[in-house]
Parts: sequence; C-alpha cells; structure tokens
Amino acid sequence: MIVIRSRRLRTLLRFLLPLFIIPALVLLGAVVFPERLHLLVSLGVAALSLMLFVAGFERRQTGSRRMVLTAVMVALCIAGRFIPLFKPVTALTILAAMYLGPEAGFLTGSLAAALSNFWFGQGPWTAFQMLAWGLIGLAAGYLTRPLRRSRPLLLLFGALSGAAYSMVMDVWTVMWYTEELTWPLYAAALTAALPHTLLYTASNVAFLWFLARPIGEKLERIRIKYGL
Amino acid sequence: MRRFSEHNPIAVAVYFLCVLSVAMFSMDPVILIISLTGALALHFRLQRLSGGRTHLYTLALCLFMTLINPLVSHHGATVLFVMNHNPVTLEALLYGTASAGMIAAVLYWFRSFTCIMTSDRLLYLFGALSPKLSLILSMAMRYVPLFGHQARRTRQAQQALGLYREDNLIDSLRGDARIFSVLMTWALENGVITADSMAARGYGIGRRSRFSIFRFTLRDGLLILLSLLLAGGTFWAIHAHAFTYYPVISAAPATLRVIPGFAAYALLALLPLLIDAKEAIRWRCLQSGI
Repeated sequence: MIVIRSRRLRTLLRFLLPLFIIPALVLLGAVVFPERLHLLVSLGVAALSLMLFVAGFERRQTGSRRMVLTAVMVALCIAGRFIPLFKPVTALTILAAMYLGPEAGFLTGSLAAALSNFWFGQGPWTAFQMLAWGLIGLAAGYLTRPLRRSRPLLLLFGALSGAAYSMVMDVWTVMWYTEELTWPLYAAALTAALPHTLLYTASNVAFLWFLARPIGEKLERIRIKYGL
Repeated sequence: MRRFSEHNPIAVAVYFLCVLSVAMFSMDPVILIISLTGALALHFRLQRLSGGRTHLYTLALCLFMTLINPLVSHHGATVLFVMNHNPVTLEALLYGTASAGMIAAVLYWFRSFTCIMTSDRLLYLFGALSPKLSLILSMAMRYVPLFGHQARRTRQAQQALGLYREDNLIDSLRGDARIFSVLMTWALENGVITADSMAARGYGIGRRSRFSIFRFTLRDGLLILLSLLLAGGTFWAIHAHAFTYYPVISAAPATLRVIPGFAAYALLALLPLLIDAKEAIRWRCLQSGI
C-alpha cells in the first residue's frame, strides 16, 4: 500500500498482474487450496485487479481537467444512489466512460461504489461492487465508438450490464454464505434476486434512454468548449 | 491518552485486516464465538446502545440464514425430519447457525471499522496508495454536499419562476429532470474552472507533497506487529485443527497448540478494549497523582 514511484516497477506490475499473478492465484485456488479458501482467493483477485488499475492510473498522464471531471461524475453517481428504487449509477458510469475514456469509466464506477458505501454500508461486498461497476465502465470505455453511433446498442449494453452486475453480486452472495459455489444455491440466489435484476436492467435502460442524449451533449460541449 | 481509534489509520487498518481474515475464513465454533464476542464488545464500546433497528435487522438476517440452510442443503447424516421428500439434517442446521454467526461477526467488525475509519482517515490510507486517487476522492466527497446545496438553490429559483407544481406527478418529474440538467451543466463548468484554477496555481509542476495530521509512532508499529503475530499464530495453531460439519460433526482431537491458538485470537479480538482499558487506568493514575 505504498506509492509505486519507480516507473519500471509499475510497468512490470502492469504486465505481471493480469498475465501471471491473477491467473496463478485463480489456478491455485482451484487446484491446491481447499474449498473454504475460495472466498479468500476471490477477495485477493478483486484487490489485485484494483491495484492493477491504480498502478495504470498513476502512470498515465491524466490532465487535471479530466481528473476533476471524473470527480464530478463520481459525486453525481453518489447523489444518484439516493434516488429510491431506480439507481442511475450504472448509466452515469457508462456515460462517463463514453466521453472521458475507459480509465475514467473504471474509476467512476469503482470510486462511486467505495464512497457511496459510506452512506449505504461498507462490507466485504464493497470490493466486488467496485470491481463490477469498474469493469462495466471499462468495457463501455473500450466500446465508445459503436455505443455512441447506435442508440439500440447502447440500451442493450445498459440492459446487459445491469444483468451482469446482478449475476456477479449473486456469485458473491452465495460464496459468502456457503464458501462453495453450487448450482442449486446459485440458481436459488439468482431467482431470489430476480426482481432486483429486472429493476437494475429496467432502470439502466430507462436512465440511458432519458440521459444519454442530454448528458452526452453536455459532456461533448465541455469537451469542445475547453478542448479536452 | 491515546485510544485505539486514535492510532495511525494504517495500524488500525492492519488490525482489522488481521482480525477479519481469521473471522471470515474459520468455521470453528470456538473462533466464531470469540470473534462475535469481540465484535459486539467493540461495537458497544464505540456506539453504546444506539442503532436498535440495525441490531434487529442483523438478528432477522441471522435467523433467516440459519433456517434457510437446512432447507437447501441436504448433506449430513443425522436426519431430523423429512419435508417434501427432502431430509432436514442436524448438521445442515448447525452449519447454518455457524454461517449466520460468522456473518453477524463480520458485519459488526465492519460496522466498527466504518465507525473508526472516518473519511479523513480513509483518505490518508488512499493517499499512501496514490496521491492522485486521494485527490479525486476528496474532491468527490466535497462535491456531494455542494451539489445538494446547488440543487436546492436551483429548485427554489425554479419554484419562484412558477415552472412546476408539486401536486402533479408528471410536472414534478419534469421539474426534477430540469434541475438535474441545470445542476449537471453547472457542475461540469465549475469542475473545469476548478481545474484551471489548480493549473494556474501550479498543480502538477513539482512532485506532489501531502499533508497529514496522523503521525506514525512506535506504538503504531507495535500494534501492527502484535496484530500480525497474533493472527499468524492463530492461523498456525488452528490450521491442523480441522472442524468439519459434513457428513457428521467432528473435531480433530485437541492438540497442545490449539489452546494457545484460541488464546491468541481472544487476545487479538479484545485488543482494542484492552488498549482502551490500559489507557483509562493510566489516566486515572496520572489524575490521582496530581
């Protein structure tokens, strides 16, 4: 948990973490450790992925304007989580990623999860929420071009990411509870969470439907006006 | 006088990591009871008797988890009764109870963690990780109340203009959307102005220095060392002491090193209370010496 100052070490980590350390940990978890330690492995993987992105973030030259705009989007996501039932966090993360880049998308999603949990309750699930929302933002950032060009694709992406978020969190629910992932329990958790999944999907689609154009225009306007 | 919660955030974080790593990955009933006792004791020390509803909620969650396990899991040899052609076993019930106990303990540890780790402490931790990340976090934290304030001002202005009525749902939704739109434009422009101001005053020129109010003293180092040693000792001691629930509840015969393992974990779980008690006694002594 210390700043990695050496550029060479950071570059090394950026290669080693995704290509060797994380796969090795997952393989070890599957082969060597007893079933009980799966939870430890997944927590470790979540922490390592976050570290990877932190290392990448510090390395790249992020302009201070883009940085402040990311903070603005994080704050908007947190404020949005207070809306009852319908949560615009995923939609706002996707939009931030589309106009500010994949790295900003990952940060918006993961920081919104980490910070808003000060109001909604921290727990071992925070790491998974950070990872799930962060990865949604990252994916949206890489798919910027098709998502901007086609509106149905954007809505589809929103729906899929809502379902994916719910499925990731259900894996976590089951593993937290029994420490072994069995299909009947996972299916039960998925069924129990079905109303939530539908709500996530519906609210993502609804928010993207209503917000994509106005927020996109605002972000685009800022980009043009200030030459980001 | 330096209470447990006033230690350096890094030391406190290491302590919670140690105590949680044992609490989350051991299903041994003795460890579970120690962990739950320590978690509850620290929780009541920090928050007294407030938050009755959260206790009720946790209790309901635990009851639910205890009862749901025998219904979905049919491992175990001792069948209590048969329901819908599925056996309900004693082992599954006890495993459910143990899981519920573990989850309650972890929840209470995390509540104490959130109570001690206020946002400034957490920013200090993140700042050790990456100064840029820490800056974004602190800006976002500051923006949340700022946006709330600005949204209220916009709403008042809109109401003064008579643009929407409160009693009509469609009108009020459209009004909320308009406020959000205004707020967003304002927030983005304000953000760019902030960034320009930062650049004008030399942000990003030199190496980033950071100020923190937390010192790292010898006692923080001792706390870290003690936490790591106790957690490591517990892991080493209970590693061989396998406690299995399925198919029949069985514990490996207690060896000599299990007892010190439990003792080490008990010491670890009660460490915050012990530190506070020691400080309180010292304070009394100093007072009576005057």
